[in-house]
Amino acid sequence: MAAWLVRRLVASMAIVFAVVTITFFVVHLAHGKPCGSDDRPLPPEICQALCRRFGCDKPLLEQYGKYLAALARGDLGESIGLHRPVADALADAIPNTFTLALAALLIDFALGLALGIYQAVRAGRFGDVAVGNVALLVNSMPVFWLGLVLLLVFAQWLRWFPAGGITNPILCPRLDSPYCLLDFLWHLTLPALTLGLVGAASTARYQRAAMLEVVRQDYVRTARAKGLREQRVLLVHALRNALLPIITLFGLAFPFLFTGAVLIETVFAWPGMGRLAVNAIFQRDYPVVTGAALLTSAMVVLGNLIADALYAVADPRIRVRGGEGGP
Amino acid sequence: MPTARPRAGLTFAALASLTLVAGCERPVGCTGEYCGTMVIASGGEPDILLPPVSEFSITRDVTDQLFLKLADLGASGNTIGDEDFQPQLAQRWEWDTPTTLVFHLDPRARWQDGQAVTAADVAFTYDAYTDTLVKSSFRSSLRQVAAVTTRDSLTVVFRFRQRYPEMFYDAVYHLRILPAHLLREVPRDQWRSAAFGRAPVGDGPYRFVVWKAGESIELAADSTFFLGRPHLRRVIWRFTPDQQGAVTQLITGDADAVEVLVTPDNVQRARADTALATYPYKGSAYGYVGFNLAAPGDSTKPHPLFGDRDLRRALVMATDRERVLRNVFGDLAKVPPGPLSQVWWIWDPEIRELPYDSGQAARLLTRTGWTDSDGDGIRDKDGRPLAFRLLLPTTSAVRRQYARLLQEQFRIAGVEVQLDEVDFSLYNERARAGRFDALLNVWNTDPTPSSGFPQTWTPAGFGRSNYGRYDNPEVDRLVDQAVASAANRDQARRAWRAAVETLNRDAPGIFLFATSNVAAVHKRIADVTIRPDSWLALLRTWRIPADRLTDRDRVER
Repeated sequence: MAAWLVRRLVASMAIVFAVVTITFFVVHLAHGKPCGSDDRPLPPEICQALCRRFGCDKPLLEQYGKYLAALARGDLGESIGLHRPVADALADAIPNTFTLALAALLIDFALGLALGIYQAVRAGRFGDVAVGNVALLVNSMPVFWLGLVLLLVFAQWLRWFPAGGITNPILCPRLDSPYCLLDFLWHLTLPALTLGLVGAASTARYQRAAMLEVVRQDYVRTARAKGLREQRVLLVHALRNALLPIITLFGLAFPFLFTGAVLIETVFAWPGMGRLAVNAIFQRDYPVVTGAALLTSAMVVLGNLIADALYAVADPRIRVRGGEGGP
Repeated sequence: MPTARPRAGLTFAALASLTLVAGCERPVGCTGEYCGTMVIASGGEPDILLPPVSEFSITRDVTDQLFLKLADLGASGNTIGDEDFQPQLAQRWEWDTPTTLVFHLDPRARWQDGQAVTAADVAFTYDAYTDTLVKSSFRSSLRQVAAVTTRDSLTVVFRFRQRYPEMFYDAVYHLRILPAHLLREVPRDQWRSAAFGRAPVGDGPYRFVVWKAGESIELAADSTFFLGRPHLRRVIWRFTPDQQGAVTQLITGDADAVEVLVTPDNVQRARADTALATYPYKGSAYGYVGFNLAAPGDSTKPHPLFGDRDLRRALVMATDRERVLRNVFGDLAKVPPGPLSQVWWIWDPEIRELPYDSGQAARLLTRTGWTDSDGDGIRDKDGRPLAFRLLLPTTSAVRRQYARLLQEQFRIAGVEVQLDEVDFSLYNERARAGRFDALLNVWNTDPTPSSGFPQTWTPAGFGRSNYGRYDNPEVDRLVDQAVASAANRDQARRAWRAAVETLNRDAPGIFLFATSNVAAVHKRIADVTIRPDSWLALLRTWRIPADRLTDRDRVER
């Protein structure tokens, strides 16, 4: 297991390195220079001076070498557009994105599992068909569009939730009281629901298929024959085995959550990494784009690593094989 | 499942109580005339709160509350002479000689850390704005100021290189006076990342409280402000990814004000909301199709199409600008009589320009050899179709809409237009390098044409803002006369009008729109006055009467 873990860690670092390298070259090779905004473009001489200061007039390989050297020292550089260290900008944004992704993940799996099990229990009946069709509908929606619909209905028409932001800036400039924590959760609800619902629709379909496969197994029939209550048969005996494909889905959910967050953060004015990265791309703020790619890829790789570890915990057969050479 | 119903009920109850608790207000306290809180929804975020090194208008909105100028524009917007300017940091001023301007600072002025504002701060500020290490984009606006010196701790002297009508404007409009004692030690080449810029100390009506990156900036009224205590005790900017998001926050009641409603649809929504008041004011932007008069990428050769003045004139006359404008803006813009924004005092609907006349346009095209010889609907000459590419940025919904409508109008005239829609960075790069046939551009202007116009429509702007490399010595002469040597406003106006009419005859572009803005502000806020060049310039006088305060205004924390 330790050898497997070391191998996976090395592979993960290689993936992150590859992502950073590709991102670095792609953003630097893209046309356009960091020269202000549509609002007021910078005068050319200032643009050139800034470019010189940030080294973007140097050969690309030299820039890459310097970037790697700085990265090795833990220095992500300075943002061209934000006028502050990239690490500071990311440090402000990461907790917000992470919270959003975590909340969405909870909704995704809690709702997805519950619906999947419900559908499997009522397979072929009205409840199954109805939930399946609704799940298919939600799953087919682009995440930003669903966000806009929820925003329109629940924020603009019904006014049950705020239209954006992370807290009420008047009442809660800081998260320093239970009241403000609730205010934060209130602001979190719509963006997390948007991301979570789309994920849950997909999770429910996987869970339904997995449960249907498992409930036909002999050991489930045996459990029923022993006279166990149906609830216990399903939740204790069937569910654990039906969870294996879901763990795979857990690993796959991370890239979806982070890419979805890019759109959702923009729709709901959520100050996370997605919004930071989008702005940086438009302004050709190379250090921020590369820094965001580094962190996002690291988090996705870490999520997959956790999923693999969970897989090993959930399936004893994998643990045995893991001892022999890894999952 | 028997347990399903209670669980669903529990979930709903939890959600409902969460909504209820979060919707509740905290205990309230403040009463009286100075309790108001205003939340401004903004479609952008400042980069740094240090005026010389930021070009964003949102930065200016915030820093204008923190840092004072020596004097500011008056309500008339007149930039010529000094009679319409209002004292700010300078209590009074006089002209020692025609090129020597002496300011006397108000002795009551204080930095918010308690230090007095002195003449040394003014000299320091001028030095910083003009220092090449600081790389301020306002440096060029101060090129006519030869020196700024101190006479005593409250007297500062500006010496100009020559006499001209807007000397006073140049001296005061762009300079926000900075605290020398807090910035002197910051290396000039590091001002763009100075810690001061994220927690500034100013001398204005408001003091900085907090900046939450990506979320909001909060300012609090300085109750000891020497020009009078601001009525609104808190002003908060909430950042949204775009202006549309800002309008949504206003409509949902999450914000109290937005600078501009952008589309007729938003104006309708705001007017339908009984809690909101709308305030129309002149816009400072104009948009146009600019023709590249030089060959793309080679400025030494004329453009194969737009080097021909008659062709350009034909295209201008083939464009029904009024109709396109109504489609896109409704009544939120005007067709400009040239490359002019509505805030400019030289705006004059009587300026002569080429009319919309599709018949005359067609005749002119035919006369210059552009006919549809093969019947495909596109005119051609010597086997070459009359076709060009129009460059525009994807970031502008207005310009994308305009491009499609223009494409259709040109198609009817027998001209094929292909759209090059690229992101703003690439657009900017290609525009500056001259790698385009025509572009759909917008300029946000200063209150006066004196610097913007020459930079955009004379050779002074080659390699800068004169993307199409338009050059007519007669226009240059008239502009010089208007900017530098006109003795009074009427004489300057006549020179400007002649310059614009000459330019219109050359048709270096199709001048499509000059924006008219509409701001929306919650009705509980009274005495809202908007100065077109800077919508929050008079924020200090906005107030919420005691009988209109809401719990949100009164809340203490």
